[in-house]
Parts: sequence; structure tokens; C-alpha cells
Amino acid sequence: MHLAHTAPLDLGRFMSYLSARQEVVSSNIANADTPGYKTQDIETEFSAAFAEARDAIVEVPGLSSKNDGNNVSIDREARLLAENTVRFNLAAQLMRGRIKDIRSAISEGHS
Amino acid sequence: MSLFSAIGISASGMDAQRTRAELITENLANADTTRTPEGGPYRRKDAVFTSAPAEQSFAQALSDFSGYPAQGVSVSQVVVDDSEPERRYLPGHPDADPDGYVAFPKINPAEEMVDLMSASRGYQANVAAISTAKDMIARSMDLFK
Repeated sequence: MHLAHTAPLDLGRFMSYLSARQEVVSSNIANADTPGYKTQDIETEFSAAFAEARDAIVEVPGLSSKNDGNNVSIDREARLLAENTVRFNLAAQLMRGRIKDIRSAISEGHS
Repeated sequence: MSLFSAIGISASGMDAQRTRAELITENLANADTTRTPEGGPYRRKDAVFTSAPAEQSFAQALSDFSGYPAQGVSVSQVVVDDSEPERRYLPGHPDADPDGYVAFPKINPAEEMVDLMSASRGYQANVAAISTAKDMIARSMDLFK
């Protein structure tokens, strides 16, 4: 039984997902002025976040395109950046707690 | 895919926006230039952005989290405006043609300023993305404490 894996959430995978998402959002921001570029995102289904994030890159529907065919909304990306950081910080905090538990177990509760 | 490649992508965006800002300032500086090495008045330049797969280290490519090639951005081309220059009547000017008209660059300072603002905002957005990625990396490093 691995202590780090007993909790219902697989935090490591969640953090991987958030890093991947961060990359996609960065890519959208970098291409905010590229003609024809379409906003991309990783499948945001709650379950998909914890399952394999592999190949779940999708184009985001419902965004209005500019004349050059680009549909990056800087406001949307800014919101996602902020959200991502908060989620990542939360996950890191939880992970820290878990690591602390393991440390405590290693030192027989003397830490 | 990692937070470090996210930083690389944002850096490519900063690079592209800075190149654009450089071209815009060049246009503004040369708004009244009538002589160039190629002959004739200065011609307006503009950057063409193309999304390009972000640069990856060999190790990153091997241990890719998903098969998705994250898109950075690059300046694929610098286009030179070849529209007719603006003609101003200045008979005393050394570059005036026999009719007394001088060919001036066709540059609208207001348009350039708006483009410059857009380049600056784009740059800021990329900087913001880098600082959040850095923040996330710092949080991960806190795990070792």
C-alpha cells in the first residue's frame, strides 16, 4: 500500500494535467496575434483531468473570430492563467501535506 | 510537456512581439525618410506571425506528457509595403522630381501607435504567463521543504 496513492485524488496526475494546461494557455497567448490560429484547450471534463490527458487537445467552440481568423480571447486566457495557478497551488499544498505524513511515518511520528 | 516548455512558448511570444515592436518603431523613426540604400523613400515594414512547434530539448521530446506539439509563435516573414509613396509638393527639396513633388513614406503615425500598443499588450500577456508558470514551479519546489 502506497501512502501517497491512497487518497481518492491522484494529485501527481492532476498537477501534470495543470502543467499541460498551462502550456496550452501559454501557446494561446503567444499566438494571440497569429492569423488563423484557433484557441486550443485540454478537455476540461472533471473525469478527463484525472484520466489520461493524452490527445485530449480540442479547439474551443463558441469564441468569436477576428477578421484574420484568429479567435484568441486574451481575457479568457488571463482567467485560465489565474485559475490554473490557484488550482496548482492547492494541489501542491495537498501534496505537501501528504509528503509530511509520509515523513512522519518514516520518523515514527517524531517529527 | 512541462512547465518549462510553457515558459519556452511564452518566450517565443515575447520574441515575436518584440520584433514587431522593433519594426513599428523603425517605421515611426523613418516616417519622413526620403532616401534609403535601395533608393526611393522608406517603405513600411510589418511582421507576419506564424504558429510554429515550440523548441524542445531532446529529453523533453522523449518524455513528452502527451503527443501534442505545443504551438509557439515565430516571425516567419517581414513584409515590406510596396504601395505607392505619398507625394508632397516641396519644390526646394533636393529629392524633388522635376514637377516639384517629393515621394514620402506612406506611414500613418496613429496606425503605428495602435500597433505598438497591441505589441506591448501582447508582450505583457506573455510575461504574465511566464510569471504564473514560474510561480507554479516555485510551488513544486516547495514540496521538497
